[in-house]
Amino acid sequence: MSRTVIIEPVTRIEGHARITLQLGDTGEVEDAKFHLTQFRGFEKFCEGRPYREMPALTARTCGICPVSHVLASNKACDHLLSVSIPPTGEKLRRIINLAQITQSHALSFFHLSSPDLLLGWDSDPVSRNIFGVMRQDPALAKDGIRLRQIGQTIIETLGGKKIHPTWVVPGGVSEPLTQEKRDAMLKLMPEGLDIAKRTYAFFKTLVPKFKDEASHFGNQPTMFLSLVSPKGHLEHYDGFLRLKDAQGRILEDMVPPHEYERLIGEAVEDFSYMKFPYYKPQGYPKGIYRVGPLARLNNVDACGTPYADVALAEFHMLQESGPIASSFHYHYARLVEIIYALEMMERLLKDPTILDARVRARARSNRYEGIGVTEAPRGILMHHYRIDDEGLITWVNLIIATGHNNLAMNQSIRQVADAYVDGNNLQEGMLNRVEAVIRCFDPCLSCASHAFGEMPLAIELKDATGRVVDTLRRG
Amino acid sequence: MDRTSMGGRKILIIGYGSPIRGDDAIGPLVADRLQAEGMPEGVEVISRHILTAELVADLVEHDRVVFLDAAVDGAPGEVRCRSLAPDASAMSTMAHFLDPRELLAWCETLYDKVPETFLVSACGTSFDYSNYVLTPTAEAAIEPMLDWVRRLIDPSEPLASDQLPGASPRETETPLRIP
Repeated sequence: MSRTVIIEPVTRIEGHARITLQLGDTGEVEDAKFHLTQFRGFEKFCEGRPYREMPALTARTCGICPVSHVLASNKACDHLLSVSIPPTGEKLRRIINLAQITQSHALSFFHLSSPDLLLGWDSDPVSRNIFGVMRQDPALAKDGIRLRQIGQTIIETLGGKKIHPTWVVPGGVSEPLTQEKRDAMLKLMPEGLDIAKRTYAFFKTLVPKFKDEASHFGNQPTMFLSLVSPKGHLEHYDGFLRLKDAQGRILEDMVPPHEYERLIGEAVEDFSYMKFPYYKPQGYPKGIYRVGPLARLNNVDACGTPYADVALAEFHMLQESGPIASSFHYHYARLVEIIYALEMMERLLKDPTILDARVRARARSNRYEGIGVTEAPRGILMHHYRIDDEGLITWVNLIIATGHNNLAMNQSIRQVADAYVDGNNLQEGMLNRVEAVIRCFDPCLSCASHAFGEMPLAIELKDATGRVVDTLRRG
Repeated sequence: MDRTSMGGRKILIIGYGSPIRGDDAIGPLVADRLQAEGMPEGVEVISRHILTAELVADLVEHDRVVFLDAAVDGAPGEVRCRSLAPDASAMSTMAHFLDPRELLAWCETLYDKVPETFLVSACGTSFDYSNYVLTPTAEAAIEPMLDWVRRLIDPSEPLASDQLPGASPRETETPLRIP
């Protein structure tokens, strides 16, 4: 008789989710699904609002990555204005984006994933948490706090306002940088980089211990999608779309982000509120790809900063050839990106033009459609708006990093469950590994739960024996 | 009140809550009012949408911390003040919504130092969408919350550590009475 194992809630991620494992007669895993159980519908309730409100409105999507939404939204508004923002305005936007990546990656590594990495997947769940990490390695925990503080301090220094800063505006940023603020941020860089390099060196010593997990945690052939610079370097703010296949062949390159619809289709399933984006030329669900730090490092030819390029070379040695396939190595890629972000922020802050006063282009809307694409910490983020003659929003589509990874996350759960779950002898460590593969992707479900047309929804009513007695189905 | 010196004390006031969820904005709004009033040297005021881990580094740098928040468990408009103690069991399953007592537990575990901490809260009545706008009931709670904060930053009020050196803070309701 088949049985269902439900892991709910999935812990140490952002948002609420459920994992269902369907076991067959002999206890083997027959099916595995990752369900996003919350619904928010940002795209729908933005309709009718003036487009200039969109950066502030969409920033409310998430408490972790408001800066990412502010940037993607403002880029969509830049497109509506048909302006080219001043170079210093763009550099300042790049800095706040890199600070966001630093603090968000630090949260993921130190606070969400380090309990598994440091204490082990089979350790006592009572102590397998951040307090266990603090007791085991207080210096690491303090480093995590400090790195986040450095990222947040830069965001606050630039953004000015402590809650949902409105410093980034359509056309650029609202105020130029002062010398005093520039110097204060520069002072933080050496300490941040020391922490990042120290943590990276420590993590490299952990990697060999997790060979088994690395070979089963979403170690699968998929494509990889990210932005790259015109030179093919690591790019988090602008650039072009690049898509590589599982063998490392470039399928799409230097695609202007405004043409994303040629590449990306979106499907819906009745078991989740999260959309399932796919690579259109290969169809659904075959067109599976991954985004985020792993995809970015797999796609680039170089990072473009000294220490990060050394780390990138070491990253590629994790596997004999081709793109790094295991989702376990998202953790590794995150640490390389923290190093890069700090190096690049320092470079930008030392740029002789960074204090220039011209930071904003002013215009009214000159188009009916605007698309803004940027790299959020978890992967590529797309904002797409249509407006009417009054500048009111008539249609919105948001494709969030976590959504891009949805197909890959479902496939990864199945792989981990196949490798570790014995339905006849369920053990906590097995189920924790199923959860942990999701944590590799660092999903932010707050961002990912949006409407896409009419959401198909099924509600099942079960009696005490588990028998389904009624079903309500929509869509 | 002496507005120029806190006698070397460092006090941190943290107003937190979502600015677009009705009465949940009361913490940040009271923090804004305090900023506008002007605080004595040694008193820092910050606003946060949510409480996150890096705040631990700020907490341990201060002798006294006052959290300002909305509450749902009480009579509408009721203002309460209680001291907080570290509580590791208040741990969140996520990372973007930490309880103040969890942050204090981080301070205790990592830095072996816990500031004397108070939570001043007001019970809200509506948490529906509204941008930095409170219900009249919550609006009326702002002044009593400010009174509590004024008492808690008064340099003539002794810190617990002044009375019981080395003693761990204990959690109590309404440790101070507004005259």
